[in-house]
Amino acid sequence: MISYLVALLTFGAIYALLALGLNLMWGIAGMVNLGILGYYALGGYSSALLTMHLGIPVWLGVIAGALITALFGAATCIGLVKLRDDYLAIVTLGFAEVMRNIAENFVSLTNGTDGLAQIPRPRLGVTGSDFNVVYLVICVMVVLVVLAAMERLRAAPFGRVLRALRADPMVAASAGKNVLGFQVRTLAVGGFVLGLGGALYAHYLTYISPEVFQPQLMIYVFLALILGGRGNNYGAVLGTVLVLAIVEGTRFLADLVHGLDAVQIGALRAFVIGVAFIVVLQKRPHGLLPEPRRIYTDPAARS
Amino acid sequence: MAGMGALAGKRVVGSDSWTSSESILTVRDLHCSFGGVKAVNGASFSVQRGAITGIIGPNGAGKTTLFNIIAGSVKPARGAIFLEGRNVAGLRADQLAALGLTRTFQLARSLGDLTVLENFALYARDQPGESLWRALVGSQSVVAQEKAVLDQAWELARRLNLVRVANDRVETLSGGQKKLVELGRALLGEPSLLLLDEPIAGVNPTLGAEIGKHLLAIRDSGVSILVIEHNMSFIGRICDHVIVMGAGSVLAEGSFEEIRANEAVQSAYLGMSA
Amino acid sequence: MLQVFQLLVNGVMAGAILAVPAIGFNIVFAVLQISNFSIAALIAVGAYAGYTANVLLGLPPLLAILAAFLISGAAGVASDRLALRPLRGYGAIAVAIASLALNMVLENIVRFIFGNDVRSLDVPMMRDWIFEGIHVGPQAVFNFLVAIAAMVALFSLLSFTTVGRAMRAVADNPTLANIKGIDPEKMARLAVFLGMGMAGIAGVLLALDTAVDPTIGMRVVLSVFAAAVLGGLGSIPGAVVGGLLIGLAEQLSTLVVPVAYSSAIGFAAIILALLLFPRGILGDR
Repeated sequence: MISYLVALLTFGAIYALLALGLNLMWGIAGMVNLGILGYYALGGYSSALLTMHLGIPVWLGVIAGALITALFGAATCIGLVKLRDDYLAIVTLGFAEVMRNIAENFVSLTNGTDGLAQIPRPRLGVTGSDFNVVYLVICVMVVLVVLAAMERLRAAPFGRVLRALRADPMVAASAGKNVLGFQVRTLAVGGFVLGLGGALYAHYLTYISPEVFQPQLMIYVFLALILGGRGNNYGAVLGTVLVLAIVEGTRFLADLVHGLDAVQIGALRAFVIGVAFIVVLQKRPHGLLPEPRRIYTDPAARS
Repeated sequence: MAGMGALAGKRVVGSDSWTSSESILTVRDLHCSFGGVKAVNGASFSVQRGAITGIIGPNGAGKTTLFNIIAGSVKPARGAIFLEGRNVAGLRADQLAALGLTRTFQLARSLGDLTVLENFALYARDQPGESLWRALVGSQSVVAQEKAVLDQAWELARRLNLVRVANDRVETLSGGQKKLVELGRALLGEPSLLLLDEPIAGVNPTLGAEIGKHLLAIRDSGVSILVIEHNMSFIGRICDHVIVMGAGSVLAEGSFEEIRANEAVQSAYLGMSA
Repeated sequence: MLQVFQLLVNGVMAGAILAVPAIGFNIVFAVLQISNFSIAALIAVGAYAGYTANVLLGLPPLLAILAAFLISGAAGVASDRLALRPLRGYGAIAVAIASLALNMVLENIVRFIFGNDVRSLDVPMMRDWIFEGIHVGPQAVFNFLVAIAAMVALFSLLSFTTVGRAMRAVADNPTLANIKGIDPEKMARLAVFLGMGMAGIAGVLLALDTAVDPTIGMRVVLSVFAAAVLGGLGSIPGAVVGGLLIGLAEQLSTLVVPVAYSSAIGFAAIILALLLFPRGILGDR
């Protein structure tokens, strides 16, 4: 039971990173990205391959994987951000599918659908269940650091520009802000966070395969952000916890209904989660935590 | 009688005068069309430094397109734009803003999710806190500048009588207040040239008069203003110089009195709106 | 050279089938201004409706296709009413994201009923026809003709009937259409029914071409989006042109890249097209 909880929380921390990355891109800066799993996988595969083939230390590989994803995010931004929302949604969705296509077929690099196994774990001086606990602590600390960084960005004048871009890029430009420059930086930072999540995942499981592209995962991340509150970093983390509770809760459905085979139970769980997503969107489109509003005090009233 | 020919004759078409220190902005032979329709068709004029220049003309005369071109939102097919003597045609809107040219929009395009103060603060130029790295690590200069920007924002809110709603999201404000926010944020960037697209459209007469007073005060503080407006009494009250546009080019220009006396202009435009 | 001709023929055949759901996607977009990504699951619904009619009830393929059209159309309308319509006020992107969740829901209903097993429709195996060295399967020709017939029928409906013209009026200008007394809500329902019905037809055609399993729609959906975007979102002729171009590009690409990457070609086509035509080839919005 303890080891189940530890594993669950570790995945929760990794998914929280996905929600935080998506929140920066979509929640704060308003660029919808249905290709987040492409970035996630890129971070995981990059870090895995670098540590396996070049033998660089795991933590260096994790950072490198995140940086590669950041560069990639910045690159995909150019040329795409001018697209209208509808087109952006389809193109980013297609982007993830292409990444999956490559992961499945570029066998010499990715080992195809069999995936990469025996990805090195970081040396933490402990093994077995102790390792898992220490790894969880590290993941939680990473989430806290990223959360603090995202909060800083949001509250800074930088974040103010991103929210202006979300509302109206033309107005932001008339305010003297280089729209493309800010969008590239946003996708780079968001890509870094998503890639970080993927790398932490790969070195935890010691295995990565095209299964990371399961469409459910993307639904979970969007659900987490919408449930927690778009534009709110704490909401992204809170939403992840709640979604994890819903998803894991559906495991117990298997105990409630009898006479179903494994495929049917899997289908039933996916059905319940999908319906939960739609109900949340219908009943609470703005999420649990509203976007924070900064109240400034009048300097004249203060003196 | 001052006919159109006489008015047009006042313009000196010599290449030096286009970039004289008298004028902050000079537009020469600007062309732009959308889907075969010539929205701007050879417009040429200058905007005097430290004055309010009005642009009038019937709907479809190309006034807003002209603004979009000058402010860098739309690329002209051909023509030149000199800002402070420098050809700026083809620069992006944000690059022009950095050079001191700020515009407002015809329909208040407010950043509804942002508060009034945030709308103002956004327009401050050269903010170190907008750099990704400095936003992350923070620094004394970021904190100090943000405080200075907010002090300015409060000052503006006071001037525009928006203190009570300063911390409210703009989407919750009335239409007139949104217009004031639009004007206020344009000022925070300390522009040298302000382009205003219908600043009192849809505003009640009292507030319209108040905005007019603000504009005169802004001019007296040394800012040059180019303003599109349909309200003739407003134009007459505040403008030092008036340009009449029709079918994408300049029909006539002169003082408001000269324009009012111009029969051709009256038949083209004034008669319709009187 | 013969190989190129063979690929051209294959590309046109495959493209015509892709065009059918791409039209479905675009007709929904034209009237509702919404990207309904659940079209992938509705392809699967159609494929299983066809399977049920053909294998379990013993009906001929043409009736199976009709059944798929009706059932996918009805499922599309019902799911749109329950899941997506209440969200329209929150913007197109909220609906698009919800439609991804809806896709998961519908696909798993299918999976719950039929399982993950791969099934085949009941059609006789036939020897390929060979013209001047080019191989053509009789089944592929049948599928191609059905796709063409479905498209012609839809075009006729939109062009020559009052209701079709009313629907196009809503797509062009909803406010004006409303003034003229056209009920936009009714037209939206009809657009979803026709669009998702087309997806259902495509499901059976794909099933006849290969086999049925719950991911049948997901396998082709990227190419369908590529076709829809390439032709211009909301444009019906655009979807046909886009479908044919994507079909040809995917087939011809096998000359230079491994077959497995052919769906990535569709994506590359999207990017290229959007750089050249930000609103698609025949898009006007």
